[in-house]
Amino acid sequence: MKRLTVPVAVLGLYLAVALLAPLLAPDDPNAVTLAQRLLPPQAHHLMGTDALGRDVLSRTMYGTRVSLLVAAAAVIVAGVAGVALGMVAGWRGGWLGAVIMRVVDSVLSVPFFLLAILVVAVLGPSLVNVVVCLAMVRWPRYARVAYSTTLQTRGRGFVRAAVATGAPGRWIVVRHVLPEVLPVAIVVGTLEFGLMVVYEASLSFLGLGVQPPTASWGSILSDGQQYIATAWWLATFPGLALFVLVLAVNLLGDAARDRLDPARRAAVTRRRLLRRAEPAEVTA
Amino acid sequence: MKLDLIKGSRRRRARTAAGALTAVACLGGAACGIRPATADRAPGTLVIDTANYPSTLDPGKQYDADTYAVYRNIFDQLLRRDPRTQALKPWIATSWKQTDATTWRFAIRPGVRFSDGSPLTAEDAAFSVNRILDKRFASQQFANFSMISKATTDGADLVVHTAQPAPTLLTYLTTLSVVPERYVRRVGDERFAAEPIGSGPYVFASATAGSQVTVKANPLWWGPRPSVRGAVFRAVPNVASRVVDLQSRKADLATTLTPDAADQIKRDPRLAVLSTPTERVAYLAFNTIKGGPATDPRVRRAIAAAIDYAALIRNLQRGYAKPVNSLLTPLAFGYDKALPDARYDPATARRLIAEAGARGKTVVMDTSPSFNPQIVQAIQADLAAVGLTVDIRSTDQPTYLKKVQDPGHNWGSLRFGRWSCSCLDADGVIYPLFHTGGIWSSYTDPAFDRLVEQGRRVIDPERRAALYDQAFRVLARDLPGLGLFQDYAIYGANSRVRWTPDAQESFYLDTMEVRRR
Amino acid sequence: MTAVLPRRRLAALPATPRYLAGRIGQSLLALFGVVTIVFFALRLSGDPARLLVPEGATAADIARVRARLGLDDSLWHQYTTFLGHAVRGDLGYSYVQNRPATDLLAERLPYTANLAVAALVLSLLFGVTAGAITALRRGRWQERVLMPIVLAGQAMPAFWTGLLLVLLFSVGLRWLPSTGYDGPLSLLLPSVTLASLSAAAIARVTRGAMLEQLSQDYVRTARAKGAGTWRLVTRHLARNTAIPVLTVAALELANLLGGAVVTEVIFAWPGLGQLTVQSVAARDFPVVQAIVLLASAVYVVVNLATDLLYGVIDPRVSSGGDHP
Repeated sequence: MKRLTVPVAVLGLYLAVALLAPLLAPDDPNAVTLAQRLLPPQAHHLMGTDALGRDVLSRTMYGTRVSLLVAAAAVIVAGVAGVALGMVAGWRGGWLGAVIMRVVDSVLSVPFFLLAILVVAVLGPSLVNVVVCLAMVRWPRYARVAYSTTLQTRGRGFVRAAVATGAPGRWIVVRHVLPEVLPVAIVVGTLEFGLMVVYEASLSFLGLGVQPPTASWGSILSDGQQYIATAWWLATFPGLALFVLVLAVNLLGDAARDRLDPARRAAVTRRRLLRRAEPAEVTA
Repeated sequence: MKLDLIKGSRRRRARTAAGALTAVACLGGAACGIRPATADRAPGTLVIDTANYPSTLDPGKQYDADTYAVYRNIFDQLLRRDPRTQALKPWIATSWKQTDATTWRFAIRPGVRFSDGSPLTAEDAAFSVNRILDKRFASQQFANFSMISKATTDGADLVVHTAQPAPTLLTYLTTLSVVPERYVRRVGDERFAAEPIGSGPYVFASATAGSQVTVKANPLWWGPRPSVRGAVFRAVPNVASRVVDLQSRKADLATTLTPDAADQIKRDPRLAVLSTPTERVAYLAFNTIKGGPATDPRVRRAIAAAIDYAALIRNLQRGYAKPVNSLLTPLAFGYDKALPDARYDPATARRLIAEAGARGKTVVMDTSPSFNPQIVQAIQADLAAVGLTVDIRSTDQPTYLKKVQDPGHNWGSLRFGRWSCSCLDADGVIYPLFHTGGIWSSYTDPAFDRLVEQGRRVIDPERRAALYDQAFRVLARDLPGLGLFQDYAIYGANSRVRWTPDAQESFYLDTMEVRRR
Repeated sequence: MTAVLPRRRLAALPATPRYLAGRIGQSLLALFGVVTIVFFALRLSGDPARLLVPEGATAADIARVRARLGLDDSLWHQYTTFLGHAVRGDLGYSYVQNRPATDLLAERLPYTANLAVAALVLSLLFGVTAGAITALRRGRWQERVLMPIVLAGQAMPAFWTGLLLVLLFSVGLRWLPSTGYDGPLSLLLPSVTLASLSAAAIARVTRGAMLEQLSQDYVRTARAKGAGTWRLVTRHLARNTAIPVLTVAALELANLLGGAVVTEVIFAWPGLGQLTVQSVAARDFPVVQAIVLLASAVYVVVNLATDLLYGVIDPRVSSGGDHP
């Protein structure tokens, strides 16, 4: 576990910055000072200013809030919805299960950005709608995992015994199936978290995420693209913040996967097993 | 474990290396699979970076700047304007007169040929007009020519009939391109848009969809031999990239630059910024009907006083803007010199807001990414300084349009925009923006309606000017909208190009000069 | 123990025609679902007519455009009309450019395909090499240097990589063009940007697959017989690790084809990704529908193909077992 101290510390730092941004930020992130546009990094503005004279360091700190909030909310909403639907499909089976899994297939067939852009076009861009959009696009991943795990568990000895003794289905699901599904779902969730941070930033970059003047790393980077030849700091610092966060989260996610789910290390394995919706014998 | 190299493995290493090389070659080959769109730098050829690929080459369809920049060089227009005085000058029409209130007669220049050799006649001119008026053709320019009921010919002359007296007819005819009737009828609209044939100073040479269009000088053109012998229009959506292209001399001319980009170009001694004031006005419009605090004229006057116009012009527009006194620029007909310029007076603003009891209230500003977010946010900051909180509601363009064009006026309190009618006339600005029932109008005043309705029916310029004077006084009293500044068109060029851009943002290559380095 | 595939599970996959038909049927159903959802979602998302009229237009002008585009029909009627045309290959005309949507796609697809293939080749080159080296040199300095690079590659969001590359190579060094299609050299920066993520995925799969193979008996046998690392790799390991690596590569290709949106926007690459952003912004329904259909079809086909390929090949014959 020693190798995890750094990622955990980093994540803790980001969390602290997000929570304490009003105290830590040197300037008001929305303070427009037209006379101080596009200043390079210097004493009063460690990360320079943007095209409206706002301090980039402060905006980056406040951007942490958006990133963490959106990613966490998206993972939770998608996770809860996906796990619930996946378990229903796996436990009940029948035509309901078939319909759910077909919807899963459909959503998974569309490349992320296409779907995301469409969803935002329909709902309109805002922080809440970005969460909704991400959740709508990612819930099938949890559903698939929950589905196959439910199927697997359904065939196991102790569950069959419980069914035989006449225990109510709901109780069995919660008592026996859910504890099997949760670790796997959590693994998926931790791996997804980093991805959600990147996706939120990407949507903001395209102008589809949180709207101005709210600070988001993606929107600062989008400005950075416009001013890339004159204001390199706009493209560099928020991206660095993004990169470090995702790296830390990925490392933690890997560790979680190692601990909770050693039999499914290779991505390929996971994909294959998820597709096999057969009642399985217990694997080693 | 040592890396044990046995003799036989040399062959294998060679095989693997060959495999890797093949892969790299495939990479290169895949890259070359598409014909590279390298710039053609024959002498006298200009490479021009624009923001968007033209949506069509049919001059009867879209007429956004990046699209007409290309096709108005392939086709001739009926009339042109003098670039310095803006006066109308003969082009395809050598002379014109109004024979009665609703009829105009244009003499068509003899001896003009389309680039396929066929002669250009009055029939072609009439066809070009009627084509745009044909509802099935679905021209985006229909509204600009809707005052025409039909176009006919009489001998070698074009005769235009308008439904009512139309004082703005001539100004819109400067945007009418003449297309070859026989060719269009023969190949159909779709093929015509892909393979246009015109009578203009340049002919269409080739196009790589989404990427670039090439034109070459037309040897059959009736005008003086242009200095520019050919041009490559490249679509480069990113402003920063257009600037980089200029700096690396990959492009000779770049259009649609931002003020910040102009600053960057100014720092390079080998490049020049070409700019000109245009008829485009940056403005604020209010929802006077259901806009919350904005329904109170005192609040609107307060907002007009709260904005630091000089700071906008100096800091955000970097000097590429001029103050205005209304929604019109001095270039447009109907401009009233007597009106005072907008003034920044935060003390008065605060007083008016207090009077109206609007202190601390929230106004909603609707916007979309199409409108410069820096200006929107600067306005938000200015209004906050006088006690009005602005809630910026940004959506994408289609949603924004639907909202602010709602006939029930259920949108926010104010919005920012930039307006140009390409007509140099007050009618094209204040009628659509403020006449009751217009899709853009959230204002209603019967006196104003009467004034602008008359304004578009009266031919005599003096009477028109008087009507518009009165109309502007109504607008100054009620302030359903206010002008922020007159916008400039900004281009970047290197030492090969000599050109003075004109206020109508037309992009005539035949007015440019190519230097031999 | 890194398990690539439990062999028993694989052998249990039926490769019967009935199974095949079932999977194809499922895929078609998924595609149909996608197209339907997108069709209705688009029509809820806004009105393209307003974007197609000039500034001075009236409400009547807008209504006329709507009527011409068929948008004032009932939703159901629009849907059935669309389906009727679609099965005949007619996906409608672009509202913005007035050309068949399929034409637009055909023009842009080669650019995206070009970029995707280039990115894939790069990620295979780097990914397989890195994965193999870290597996073969486990615990040594090569692994300690390469693994962080791989991890970093996975954490770098595509648009940041792209911006940094432009900053360094286009603005700073002026070596490479920053945007657009300008000859083969302009392919370099966008494909490196795209490749960084895929390379990391491929590296990890290669490493995992190789590690599993390295612990097999036949490897120990081969080494005992004096085979060097190179011979080991090319003769035995390559064949056995090929399948999982190629599977991931195929899936990454499908991803790349559909997902290069942000990269294309940054580099103004005239491909499908840029077309998607522009068409959704313009509410050009026929073009968006066509793109979604194409991207999903590609994704579905690639997934199907890799599934079936796996089901058909029995790894007990080609992996492990005896040395050649």
